[in-house]
Amino acid sequence: RKTCFVERMLFCVSTELVDKCIGSRIHIVMKSDKEIVGTLLGFDDFVSIFLWKFKAITPEGRRITKLDQILLNGNNITMLVPGGEGPEV
Amino acid sequence: LDLSKYIDKTIRVKFQGGREASGVLKGFDPLLNLVLDGTIEYMRDPDDQFKLTEDTRQLGLVVCRGTSVVLICPQDGMEAIPNPFIQQQDG
Repeated sequence: RKTCFVERMLFCVSTELVDKCIGSRIHIVMKSDKEIVGTLLGFDDFVSIFLWKFKAITPEGRRITKLDQILLNGNNITMLVPGGEGPEV
Repeated sequence: LDLSKYIDKTIRVKFQGGREASGVLKGFDPLLNLVLDGTIEYMRDPDDQFKLTEDTRQLGLVVCRGTSVVLICPQDGMEAIPNPFIQQQDG
């Protein structure tokens, strides 16, 4: 399954890739040490703001906060890992 | 800017905020968003944010946001050199 995912990536980047991730788990790595794991609800292309249903947030202090729904500003996003587990706690 | 020469090659990417990662470039777009496969993130020393440690972690397939990318270079062909900025103190 992962191989098929990579092949799809050959033709689609950025928004198309994230679009395929809607409804499934995604792991977000911020510019700072914060990371987020949750279910992607949707995103906005121009404003780069992503909508999430969060399961956990793990800041650098290794605290876990669980939130239901948040709107995450895309300005500080560094990496998106579709299907990612997040950092080990 | 043409990144097609790096497709299917391993590249090293540095981000705003000090993160570094390397992976095989699978795709990119004009906004410099990148798709990397087999991504490894290099972890920084918690005491000195600018020093890399030996620690790495596997991330797999990731999308790197172009707004956060500050440097892209090939993983191969890099070697450590003595610090060229250290001034010699005379007298």
